[in-house]
Amino acid sequence: MLAEILRFELRCQLRQPVFLLSGAFFFLMTFLAVTTDAVVIGGSIGNVDRNAPFVILRLLLVTSIIGVFATTAFVANSVLRDHDTGMQELFFSTPIRKRDYVIGRFAGAFLVALAVFVPVVLGVLLGSLMPWLEPERVGPFRAGPYLQALAIFVVPNLLFMGGIQFALATLTRSLVATYAGVIGMFVAYGVAGSLLSDIENERLAAMLDPFGGGALDIATRYWTVAERNTMLLPLEGDLLANRLVVLALAVLAFVFAYARFSLTVSDRRGGRRWPWRRGRETTDVNEPAASEAAETAGSVLPALPAVSPHPVLAISAFRQFLRQTRMEIAGVVRSTGFLVILAFGVLNMIGNSFTVDSIFGTSVHPVTHLMVNILQGAFLLVVLVIVTFYGGELVWRERTVRVHEVIDALPVPDWVLWGAKVAALAVVVGLMLATAILTGIGIQAARGYYAFEIGLYLRGMLLLTGIPFVLAAVLAVFLQVVTNNRHLGFLLMIVYFISGPVLSAWDFNHNLYQYGSAPGAPYSDMNGFGHFVEPRIWFSLYWAFAAGMLAVIVHLLWVRGVAGSPRDRLRLARQRFTRPVGAVLAMLALGFIGTGSYIFYNTNVLNEYIPGDVREERQARYEQQYKRYEGIAQPKITALYADVDIHPERRAVDIRGRYSLRNKTATPVDELHLSVNPQATVRSLDAPGLRPRLDDGTLGYRIYDLDAPLAPGDSLELSFEVAIENPGFVNHGSNTSVVRNGTFFHNVTYFPRIGYARRAELNDPNDRRRHGLAAIQRMPSIDDAAARENHYITSESDWIDFETVVSTSPDQIALAPGYLQREWTEDGRRYFHYKMDAPILGLVAWLSADWEVARDRWNDVAIEIYHHRTHRYNVDRMIDAVKKSLDYLTSEFAPYQHRQLRIVEFPRYRGFAQSLPNTIPYSESIGFIARLDEDDDEAIDYVFYVTAHEVAHQWWAHQVVGGNVQGATVLTETMSQYSALMVMEREYGREQMRRFLQYELDGYLSARGGELIEELPLLLVENQGYIHYRKGSLVMYALRDHVGEEALNAALKRYVEAVRFQEPPYTYSREFLSFVREAVPPEMESIVEDLFETITLYDNRLVAATREPGPDGTWVVNLEVESRKFRADGEGVETEVPVDDWIDIAVFGAREPGASPDGKLLVLEKRKIDAAETVFELVVNEEPRRAGIDPFTKLIDRNPDNNVATVSAASGS
Amino acid sequence: MNRVLTIEHLSKTYPNGVRALHGVSLRIPTGMFGLLGPNGAGKSTLMRIISTLQEPDAGRVTLGDLDVLREKDRVRRLLGYLPQEFGVYPRLSAQAMLSHLATLKGIPPGELKGTVEVLLRQTNLWDDRKRRLDTFSGGMKQRFGIAQALIGDPKLIIVDEPTAGLDPTERLRFHNLLSQIGENIVVILSTHIVEDVSDLCSRMAIISQGEVLLTGDPAGAIERLDGRIWSRVVERSELADYEHDHHVISTRLSGGRTVIHVYADERPAGGFERVRTELTDVYFSTLKRAGAAAA
Repeated sequence: MLAEILRFELRCQLRQPVFLLSGAFFFLMTFLAVTTDAVVIGGSIGNVDRNAPFVILRLLLVTSIIGVFATTAFVANSVLRDHDTGMQELFFSTPIRKRDYVIGRFAGAFLVALAVFVPVVLGVLLGSLMPWLEPERVGPFRAGPYLQALAIFVVPNLLFMGGIQFALATLTRSLVATYAGVIGMFVAYGVAGSLLSDIENERLAAMLDPFGGGALDIATRYWTVAERNTMLLPLEGDLLANRLVVLALAVLAFVFAYARFSLTVSDRRGGRRWPWRRGRETTDVNEPAASEAAETAGSVLPALPAVSPHPVLAISAFRQFLRQTRMEIAGVVRSTGFLVILAFGVLNMIGNSFTVDSIFGTSVHPVTHLMVNILQGAFLLVVLVIVTFYGGELVWRERTVRVHEVIDALPVPDWVLWGAKVAALAVVVGLMLATAILTGIGIQAARGYYAFEIGLYLRGMLLLTGIPFVLAAVLAVFLQVVTNNRHLGFLLMIVYFISGPVLSAWDFNHNLYQYGSAPGAPYSDMNGFGHFVEPRIWFSLYWAFAAGMLAVIVHLLWVRGVAGSPRDRLRLARQRFTRPVGAVLAMLALGFIGTGSYIFYNTNVLNEYIPGDVREERQARYEQQYKRYEGIAQPKITALYADVDIHPERRAVDIRGRYSLRNKTATPVDELHLSVNPQATVRSLDAPGLRPRLDDGTLGYRIYDLDAPLAPGDSLELSFEVAIENPGFVNHGSNTSVVRNGTFFHNVTYFPRIGYARRAELNDPNDRRRHGLAAIQRMPSIDDAAARENHYITSESDWIDFETVVSTSPDQIALAPGYLQREWTEDGRRYFHYKMDAPILGLVAWLSADWEVARDRWNDVAIEIYHHRTHRYNVDRMIDAVKKSLDYLTSEFAPYQHRQLRIVEFPRYRGFAQSLPNTIPYSESIGFIARLDEDDDEAIDYVFYVTAHEVAHQWWAHQVVGGNVQGATVLTETMSQYSALMVMEREYGREQMRRFLQYELDGYLSARGGELIEELPLLLVENQGYIHYRKGSLVMYALRDHVGEEALNAALKRYVEAVRFQEPPYTYSREFLSFVREAVPPEMESIVEDLFETITLYDNRLVAATREPGPDGTWVVNLEVESRKFRADGEGVETEVPVDDWIDIAVFGAREPGASPDGKLLVLEKRKIDAAETVFELVVNEEPRRAGIDPFTKLIDRNPDNNVATVSAASGS
Repeated sequence: MNRVLTIEHLSKTYPNGVRALHGVSLRIPTGMFGLLGPNGAGKSTLMRIISTLQEPDAGRVTLGDLDVLREKDRVRRLLGYLPQEFGVYPRLSAQAMLSHLATLKGIPPGELKGTVEVLLRQTNLWDDRKRRLDTFSGGMKQRFGIAQALIGDPKLIIVDEPTAGLDPTERLRFHNLLSQIGENIVVILSTHIVEDVSDLCSRMAIISQGEVLLTGDPAGAIERLDGRIWSRVVERSELADYEHDHHVISTRLSGGRTVIHVYADERPAGGFERVRTELTDVYFSTLKRAGAAAA
């Protein structure tokens, strides 16, 4: 019997369109995810094999989550089918056993849900066989990962969700309620996820994640490329626990549902029937008296108002439209699905608000544009789902409830019927966005932030979300009407959603052919929506005309009454194509073409439209054609003078510059090579005896012959005029460095550059392979002595003299490195003359904005913070950090070379801070609105940190700069990190450093797996951020810990003295290390190799700790520790090496405020460990609670969680 | 104002090959007109075409001087339509729904309330006006259907199979309701139940397989057959013989025994009795004849 029920269930379900559709969908998605970069499931594949075990695990996990919606359909269908079709009377009257019926049904539904994963596996398998994949990126086939993914994730997840859905469907007997329950679970899942996204809660979050995603992340987050390509998932620890819990919950849900399942007929068809209503219904039927009365009384109908037999007046049609729209809105707004999805959006938004823009776990003030931002993210999917689903729902509503013949026979114009639906969708979108705005205001108020910018909310809503959503609504209705098939309409809508990213990934970037799309409009407090508004409006208009034309087609094809054949529909459409309809269509088409032409004129005529592949191809061509000139003898810039006129209102800059060039080589130079930015217009370029030979405008390369070769040591003046113009607007990649308020551009971006520019090369190894370019050399080898003739900042100059006169509009201040010589106003413009009093590195920038200025002093150094009017929150903190950094750096390393230090805020289009000589441009997004409460000493003060880091660059870059070889950034970035850490530790103490370094460790280990080429030891770092910043912090902190700050800084000071402001050849990391070595005691010498010269990782673990009372109230603690040490190669393949290191051993007492979370530190000693397993005995004066090895994770340890454990009483005591 | 409904050579074939209407021509004057036919005869297709909800392949329909197939909006202003099957918006009371429909029909806001009240009282639903429509019984729902069809004093009322599934009490009540509709407008009642026509209609047509078999007034049709219908009780086993020997127009069961009606100019041999001719006999003999002609 069970088998028969199971067979029947399978037969029913496998024939369902939802099975075929979801199977096809999943196959397509996974196939595309494996074979293209256009479709991404569960994170990009990066440099890992396309069919790597890691990719398969993640792919199947994510599809098992998405698949929940299909599972719901199967499970709910198996529970509700008999009930909905009224077959239950037939079934339940047979002598069927409950056990067979319920288990058979559930097993059938589960097997069908599982069957959906056959196409998923096939998608990956077939995908990895496709001939167009690069063979380097395809690993061998192995069954293990598939089986593991199915067993660990897919089956438990399906059982879990299936069990819950089974219970829900059994209890509610309603498909909608079941779906609502599932969506509710997702909401809870999403909210819990974002609430627990903090690094300190991640294990809890992983345990609570019912799909095992969190546990998978934790288990694999530090996997390197090599491990991602080969490793299977170790089923242990949190992951195992999580999976077992989920299976147990699945069983519980099923047992519960089984117990509640009853093989009797439920009486729920046709809605609720309340007892008193049933009573009235019966009296109604037996009410002859009343009806007879009516019969006699009503033998003649009273006169009723008649309907005018003439065509509807506009006014009355409008009334009908309003009335019908109200009805349609009610239909959406009152449905459970709408409310659930809306709640999802609200909760999603609240969840996201906790982590928005947070850096090192420190949050920011909830300013309005951030609310608009998270609102966009949180509601995008929600609104699209609503628009798609209810677009279909509304179009089919009358037919679904079978009221269409009544409605359609009424004297209502066709446009009222479809127009009401479109209008209702627009109103619903508006209601959702209004809810979102209220949520945003609520979030702000809840955090004590009351500067609500209602205008900004409304502008943001309209500009960024409202219009695109309404356009999508029109499309949804259009597709439903044209296909006249609900499922096909949904499917095409999904195709539309996917088409955007896919087209973009295939380099079809133009918004003119992606329905409803427009260039993005990032917001900055400084610059508002700036120049992004104009293109946004034009594109919105353009697509609104398109939507209008779709609406006309909807009007023509609208089904009224019986649908009829396509031929009938066309005939009817011709009938409806009246003169006014034609006129409207013509006007819309005219508008569409007109706005489209204007947009095209702006994006493709005034500006050049460069899709991604063309840009890539040009980069490749630049390298192929001009790389041969790299390194030829060229003169270097020794002085730069520039007159710079900034016109913020039209986003234009005029530059008249002058280079002093000197031939520093030993050979005469008879040709001059220049790279120019194709985005800038070179108006003139001249020097005595200069003759143009080649001018490649597209790639921006020029070669000039010199009449008289420039002899070694001789100089030449090169003068030029360059203009940055930004006419009209562009389709993508809008210039964000020259804007209305907050201009910030560099000389290296727009000025002509001497020689071949290596930074313009393609650097993704896959892109390079595609263009037939050799593997990239990111930096010259550390052994390349010739390369050290240039420093790594630029090869065009060594140290230059700098002077500039910069002008801007009268309401703005213009800035550049150097000291202000004079300020004046001329012809309604403000002029500033800046001059540097000593040579500087050849990287400078100009800035202009309407700032407020805060001033202070440190000794004879003037401190100035140029910040946006409303961004006062952390200005004092920055000043404080500047002072303390200057204190530390001058006393520890060398004097400060300038008399002034400025921090200058620029718009958040770019998110970094950068140290230029005496001037530090600092992005709006990294600290100006950070929320650092005085009483919260947990929060990491990254404003202080970033400021200290940038100030340190005045030494580590602007005094000490490395030659252009591997390891150069150790001398600038790593050392600035170290200086900042030390300044910060003085201010905030070791406990905050510990938390800061946790983030650094996590950042380093997580980024290793995303390495595109090769991980290198710190000494050889090739400008890799995760190494020179993250690992650099850890390395220098550990080094300081071993040798002591005083000894280390003394060595560093000697180094700085030896190399500061040096001429070529420049210093390099080996020389740096030789100074460092002087500070390292002989017995610890090996750490230099571990920290700098190799990639070394540890796995330290406390195996057991016991205690027993010693004499005089002391305690004896026995520690059994395990310590293993590994060396990794550039791909992450590890080899174990014998441990022979000095490692921290610690014992903690009772907890106390301010101490580490492990408790009061009783003992912390470095002990020599030279065996994998070691036992220590320590005596402490207070009761020991916890103990461990390397408790503060100063060494790079992939499992820092098992370093410390509770001390237990020794057995027998 | 002459509001005669004229149907000329109307044809409709569905994409699946089903020929729903084949050259149907009818002239329907004011008063109650019965359109009688078995299930699948093409009645509903005809009703929907007249109600502007479906496009015919060929033919003309005019109401007075209005071209029904072209001037749809004008026709809809004069039309009251009760479809064979209709649902309602969920979670809506009878009053709210009727008021909504009245607005869509163009009743001005000032007269809305009064119109709705009159109609609900008329159809004896006033006491239930606050109730949700989806809790209505079949009979109440049909009465509501008539109420909405009467909105705006229509000149053409089409009711499609209104009594199917109603119990006798409700059907009687429904007939009473229909009989109150004025005589000077066109009312088309489509049905497969002969009593609906004999009770209510002054004129009728019989339609089967998309063709009109008979038009006229019920009394005249009965008269033409009067005295030629004979009946007797037969055994089940003899039925085939009788069908072979006689012109059997209908067979029915009475008290568990088979009663046949045959058409003959004179009393056939073998225990036949003359019966009073009813519309049922007209209906069955018409269908039978058409079936024989087709075969």
